[in-house]
Amino acid sequence: MTVRRRYLAPGRIGLYVLLGTAAVAFLLPLYVMLVTSLKPMEEIRQGHLFAWPAALTLGPWHAAWRSACTGVDCAGIRAGFWNSVRIALPSTVLAILLGAWNGYTLAFWRPRGGKLLFGILTFGAFIPVQVMMLPLVRLLAQAHLVGSLAGIVLVHVVFGMPLMTLLFRQYYLALPPELFAAARIDGGHFLRIFAQLMLPMSVPMIVVAAIVQVTGVWNDYILGLVFAGRDNLPMTVQLNNLINTTTGTRAYNVNMAATMVTSLVPLAIYFVSGRWFVRGIAAGAVKG
Amino acid sequence: MMRNLAVSFLALGANAAVVAPPPTVEVIHWWTSGGESAAIKSFADAYRAAGGVWHDSAIAGSEQARAVAISRILGGDPPSAALFNASKQFLDLVDQGLLNSVDEVASRQGWDQVLPESILSAVRIRGHYYAAPVDIHMPTWIWYSKAAFRKAGIAGEPATFPELLAALEKLKAASLIPLAQGGQAWQESVVFRAVLANVGGRDLYLSVFRDRDPRALKSDALRNVLLNFKRLQSYVDDGSPGRNWNDATALLITGRAGVQIMGDWVKAEFAAAHQVAGRDYGCIAGFGAHSPYIVQGDVLVFPKTANPDGVRAQQLLARVVTEPRAQVAFSQLKGSIPIRSDVDASQLDICARQGLAILRDRTRQVGNDEIYLTPDQNGALADLLSEYWNRNLPVETVQGKFAAALSE
Amino acid sequence: MQPSIPSDLDTGPRRAPRAGGSAASRWAHVALAPMAVTAIVAYLGAALWTLRVSLSSSRSLPKWDFVGLAQYARLFHNDRWLLSLENLALYGLLFVLACLVIGFLLAVLIDRQVAGEGVLRAVFLYPYAMSFIATGLVWQWLLNPELGIQSAVRSWGLRGFRFDWIVDPDRAIYTIVIATVWQASGFVMVVLLAGLRRVDPELWNAARLDGIPTWRVYVSVILPLLGYSFATAFVALLAAAVKLFDAVVAMTQGGPGIASEVPAKFIMDHLFGRANIALASAGSTVMLLTVVTLLAPVLYARSRARRVPS
Repeated sequence: MTVRRRYLAPGRIGLYVLLGTAAVAFLLPLYVMLVTSLKPMEEIRQGHLFAWPAALTLGPWHAAWRSACTGVDCAGIRAGFWNSVRIALPSTVLAILLGAWNGYTLAFWRPRGGKLLFGILTFGAFIPVQVMMLPLVRLLAQAHLVGSLAGIVLVHVVFGMPLMTLLFRQYYLALPPELFAAARIDGGHFLRIFAQLMLPMSVPMIVVAAIVQVTGVWNDYILGLVFAGRDNLPMTVQLNNLINTTTGTRAYNVNMAATMVTSLVPLAIYFVSGRWFVRGIAAGAVKG
Repeated sequence: MMRNLAVSFLALGANAAVVAPPPTVEVIHWWTSGGESAAIKSFADAYRAAGGVWHDSAIAGSEQARAVAISRILGGDPPSAALFNASKQFLDLVDQGLLNSVDEVASRQGWDQVLPESILSAVRIRGHYYAAPVDIHMPTWIWYSKAAFRKAGIAGEPATFPELLAALEKLKAASLIPLAQGGQAWQESVVFRAVLANVGGRDLYLSVFRDRDPRALKSDALRNVLLNFKRLQSYVDDGSPGRNWNDATALLITGRAGVQIMGDWVKAEFAAAHQVAGRDYGCIAGFGAHSPYIVQGDVLVFPKTANPDGVRAQQLLARVVTEPRAQVAFSQLKGSIPIRSDVDASQLDICARQGLAILRDRTRQVGNDEIYLTPDQNGALADLLSEYWNRNLPVETVQGKFAAALSE
Repeated sequence: MQPSIPSDLDTGPRRAPRAGGSAASRWAHVALAPMAVTAIVAYLGAALWTLRVSLSSSRSLPKWDFVGLAQYARLFHNDRWLLSLENLALYGLLFVLACLVIGFLLAVLIDRQVAGEGVLRAVFLYPYAMSFIATGLVWQWLLNPELGIQSAVRSWGLRGFRFDWIVDPDRAIYTIVIATVWQASGFVMVVLLAGLRRVDPELWNAARLDGIPTWRVYVSVILPLLGYSFATAFVALLAAAVKLFDAVVAMTQGGPGIASEVPAKFIMDHLFGRANIALASAGSTVMLLTVVTLLAPVLYARSRARRVPS
């Protein structure tokens, strides 16, 4: 829409009211998490969920980051931060690259067998991760990859592939067909069209794919526990240890603080990604 | 020249001795917070004092920790030791030859003499010892808040099950929550075991869980137990479903509820709120001088490794954790009872001392359900009891399905 | 630019002819390699492994004996399993529908060039960033009649207000819908937003010049254009619904009793806690076969219908 409005039409007001209401509803749990993380345990035991802390304390945040006990070690979730980064970075980049590659191949070149493989992959997305864990661990054991960074990255790429491929395939199918036809006429071949035309054109979808994959990898802990090896445990393992103890005491304020700290990285990515949600990328390209 | 040669050999020998690596273990367990992590830290400290290196792999959630241990064993990257319950959970690992045994440690420390029967039956399989017991818990203690009792005008501690019900009535009349309960299947199962032990008695308990005797399963005695179990549900508040066990304890701590039936790990919650056993809260192991004492335990298993250094490290660990002094230090922090009867109990709190004294009477010991039942049977029974607790099913239907659940 | 004929999950007759040339198809076939390896070795392999285990009596470790369909028989005599299937059908329907509708509305509203778009996008997307093990607990508290919304509203004066679904065996599953829709709507929103942002601005100008009301433009033009994006969102949501596990564990543990049990939780419980991987594998196989049976004919039919010679 290029017409600028100088005044707030009733339609606009309605728009903002709707969005505002939705925003409040969405923010409610965050509010509860925030105030809980700033209260001492005595206040939390009283059970007044929405009350602002009477004795506001930043202790839980401090404890969550560096001193909460997660087993024998009492070093908070900080211990695993760089491990999480080292796992998330290659897992995301590789998964997106492969997803775009697969989507591109399927959408434009449609080699024989492609549809069947895509079908298998898509149905594979319906299998819960834990069900695939035992067969995968036996498989990776043959290649001596269990307990290594390469192993966990490989596992994340495998689990991310169905959704990544789906995202990019659909995106490419929705592009104007003239785009690809023109590129072929211009003499482009497989790799060239992929690297120089399609990939740059897929920026919005790369952003979505990054959001999805980073969130999935960053918040995973069960795969990290089995495949990453003792030296590469992601911070979500510590987070899970903080929250899910079986018969130990639960410090809810520390739990909430730790969850919010952990989610800062995916959230940062969401914020930064905003720049690329720009309008009409493909449309502009066709005109030119 | 001979002297030079001798010196060279001596030097070589000395170097070889210096180069031997310290015994190193990686331990998978689920004790991630508060008292339990302090407790396992005491084991780690004892191991380090004995010259070893401890790598901690804590994983919250007992089922998950065991699942990860099994996955890593299957994946060829096993830990040195993994925590399991004294139960049938690691039977498959033994059957497929995936665990090392600790027979030497067992015989040297005289486990046959000092361990309770139930624990022995869980760790000794076909004559070999495949696990080192680390603690004993009792899941069905009856805790009560002294403040709440005072407010409801309850004078002393209930000494029989009917007296408990009377106390619950008084708490209800005083607008307090009579029974603080977390509405999760395993907690409901705890309440059932408490009723079975106290109302049904030791013989019925063993007939049902250990022998799975069809007559016992169809008996009126079991029916009576089920009815009393359901009766307790009427003393529970509306917010109970889904509640975590420690939130129920919090109700006792803040004096809003009177009674909780839960294992002795609650003592850590009380301690975190600076409440003391005997002063702020009371503990009842069971009603009567012969009430059964349910033995629930945790053990460490040692996944198979051929590496002699690894085996040595495992044996050292098994020895360190079962020694009397380490046991007492651990129990104080964990809220459990030492696995062996030959320890100095003066350091433990009054509830633990009470438990240890009862445990010395072998006629009162019974094993926890998981010692007799497979995890699957246990789970099926928990499902049934949870359904009965939450819905109004006729007791005949439940008793009928009881036998089916235990037979699968 | 004319709006194109609506097409969705599969290619349509308007597609450019298949890229020809033997060199091209050689490249294309080689390019399939990563997908082939992953699909066949990892996914197909895992599915077949699971099938084999479901025909055995394995407990906590795989045992390669053969018991025929005994596990499946046991599965379908199990109350928890049958209830979990019912719950999944109900949950799946509500969850997918609600997420698609709410996600679409949010995407549309945000697309209208509102002030503070970045902030709003973050507000609706942040639930997706957070691990459900903690947010699930918060939802449990919010929906608990004594701690959360019911008690808060009552304390404002509406004494008779009831919102205790989470402790009601017949309504607990709806609370899971609420919490998971909260978490997943943001994802649908960004997928649809990416699609919306590809729409040519000229389209809007043309529609305005023709005097077509805004809502009409959305229904007749934009919605069809978003077909591919909707298909993506639909498949992803369906997969999430079938795998629903974390939310149930964090909020109700399948309770009260077994009222909010779902298949993935049943499978997980038997895989780990109950140490019965054979039964769990039977459950997984049944789930996978059901999904394949329901979706494959739909996909195949669409693919055939569209294959009109161009």
